[in-house]
Amino acid sequence: MNLLEIQNIKKSFGDLQVLKDITMSVAESEVISILGPSGSGKSTLLRCMTMLETIDGGSMSYCGESAVKTEGNTPVYASKADLARIKGYYGLVFQNFNLFPHYTVMKNLIDAPVHVQKRNPEEIRKEAQALLEKMGLADKGDYFPHQLSGGQQQRVAIARALAMKPKMLFFDEPTSALDPELTAGILKVLRELAAEKMTMVIVTHEIDFARSVSDRVIFMDGGVIVEQGRPEDVIDNPSNDRTRAFLKKLSGEENT
Amino acid sequence: MFKHSLIRRIGAIGAAVGVLLGCSASLTCLAKDDSTFTVGFDAEFPPYGYKDDNGEYVGFDLDLAQEVCNRCGWTLVKQPIDWNSKDMELKTGAIDCIWNGFTMNGREDAYTWSTPYVDNSQVVVVRSDSGISELTDLAGKIVVVQADSSALAALDGEDASEENLELAASFKELQQVGDYNSAFLNLESGAVDAICMDIGVAGYEIKSRGDQFTMLEENVSSEEYGVGFLKGNTELRDQVQVTLLEMLEDGTFQEIAEKWELESSVCLSADDAYIDGTSLRSEKSFGARLLDIVSQLSGGLAASLAIFLLTLLFSLPLGLLVTAGRMSRFKPLSALVKLYISIVRGTPLMLQLLVVFFGPYFVFGIRTTSGYRFAAVIIGFTLNYAAYFAEIFRSGIQAVPKGQYEAADILGYSKAQRFFRIVFPQMLRNVIPAVTNEVITLVKDTSLAFAVSYTEMFTLAKQVAAAQTTIMPLFIAGAFYYIFNFVVAFVMDRIEKKLDYTRTR
Repeated sequence: MNLLEIQNIKKSFGDLQVLKDITMSVAESEVISILGPSGSGKSTLLRCMTMLETIDGGSMSYCGESAVKTEGNTPVYASKADLARIKGYYGLVFQNFNLFPHYTVMKNLIDAPVHVQKRNPEEIRKEAQALLEKMGLADKGDYFPHQLSGGQQQRVAIARALAMKPKMLFFDEPTSALDPELTAGILKVLRELAAEKMTMVIVTHEIDFARSVSDRVIFMDGGVIVEQGRPEDVIDNPSNDRTRAFLKKLSGEENT
Repeated sequence: MFKHSLIRRIGAIGAAVGVLLGCSASLTCLAKDDSTFTVGFDAEFPPYGYKDDNGEYVGFDLDLAQEVCNRCGWTLVKQPIDWNSKDMELKTGAIDCIWNGFTMNGREDAYTWSTPYVDNSQVVVVRSDSGISELTDLAGKIVVVQADSSALAALDGEDASEENLELAASFKELQQVGDYNSAFLNLESGAVDAICMDIGVAGYEIKSRGDQFTMLEENVSSEEYGVGFLKGNTELRDQVQVTLLEMLEDGTFQEIAEKWELESSVCLSADDAYIDGTSLRSEKSFGARLLDIVSQLSGGLAASLAIFLLTLLFSLPLGLLVTAGRMSRFKPLSALVKLYISIVRGTPLMLQLLVVFFGPYFVFGIRTTSGYRFAAVIIGFTLNYAAYFAEIFRSGIQAVPKGQYEAADILGYSKAQRFFRIVFPQMLRNVIPAVTNEVITLVKDTSLAFAVSYTEMFTLAKQVAAAQTTIMPLFIAGAFYYIFNFVVAFVMDRIEKKLDYTRTR
């Protein structure tokens, strides 16, 4: 069964149609990279999938449970209780981390599991400590976010998302706010998660990373999915002109 | 004129005291022909004699007359008269006396008078070394009067005489102050050249402040009230006079004067304390006086502290509610709250206190009790500060990045959890500096409670300053405020450090 299924999703901001009829699905353990130029709609797609934005039309379901469907012209979201449960299926890692600055690293990890999921605090604390160890931050539990580097903060953000035990994770350009030398650490973590069969949807500009880690690459432009498939096909042998132009520009930038 | 009236007064008092000494108590009130005592008065002269809202004839003079009758075993008859026929009434025996804020000046020989018991003369006080000795010397000078006072009316009012209008026109400036203590501080410091004021108050102030001030011999206006009897009727005059002096001696006269708030105008005197020249200043040492003032002010400090703490206790949570209303998506609510904030921030706190205190009566006709005074202060301050706190909170909330809301949303926090666990703590840290400012302002603003006559520390300091005719209590109050704020700043600094999660620990 697909973890996520979206059909005919549309989204406009004012007169600007940002998403035009997007249909896609995410299977369990699948790692998908979404590529595309700025303004192509990939971040909006991610925000619609994580319900930070409401859609204007289409339908979406997680694990077979409908989150929103469109009857006539109006999208209807599921009940508050259903949405609360559905939101528990996924996590999101932000470009700017968005850690809670007034909480320690440990508290950032355990606050939601304790107060939202109301699980056993003892257990959560143990799991959180294990997650920090995995992220190479075993001794940082009592630190405040501002005392950490950007790369460390992003690893805390990933640990925070994982502490909720989601079925899948979204990443919104997770390395864009980081210096190149810090990027490697984050990509390493993502590779490890992929190896553990974590289902992930990653919006990224890291072509090499997308090629090596993804099961499937989606190329977006102008609010539509232009091309998708295995990374060696889409990245190395793009069939669409727009994809080719984008990749050429990107590699050009990397060479200069 | 002042001296003349005093000499005359002393003479009259001498006579009266003689009567007092010469008669036994039972002789004091010699039997009249009949046992009624009919007082003639113009019923339109508050507070001396007038018709109150219940249709009763009341007033200071009528109370005095009643007390005299009680003591002499007479029955008081209150007889309103046509002012133009007062002489006829007196001559025919229809009334026994005219007792109604009856001006003696210019009528000295037309009646047999009691000694003056009210002096409404307006006099000029200057610095002894000023070189000002008569009214014409005031040309080009700055003269100060109390706002809404008889002195102002005498110089500048509708009924002011030609001479006085000319006199006032010769001044460089005619200023107004709220109270006599500030008038004297102004005079002493040289900010003004003269004070025009009631003779009674002037006598008291000069007496207690020493010989650096002096009263001009010329009066701006002369007006003394006495009880007028038919010319030659000294027998009745003496009975009334002696009884009045008895009332003066046992404090009844003063009580009645206080009831009508005329205590600064009354001048009935058995031994003429006004001119005996000795200072009223206490002989206490500086240290003892300082201790006195400090102990008096500490009562006021407690009142200020109460306003301060209660205002914070109520306005901080209310401010949060107001913020919620202000940021509400329900348009009518946010518009209403916006209006409230705009009114509170756009009008003086002093005015708001007045509205809260007097509003219930003047707007809704609800009579308030004296206990409401403190409540009104707290309500007024709370409503005012809540508006300011609300705007501070709002800016603190808006300074929390959108990403914080999104992170909380993704992690499944409910709206309440998101506010109390994520937004509120960050807001607190954002607003502490601005809140500290407000809190420090509040310490000083507590003094505005004087607007509704609530006696907090500053009001008390002004009262003590006026009573002791020294500026010291104001400085001591200033020191108290400073220490108060020093403590507040210290505490707020500790709170700020505690809440600042970006400080490396």
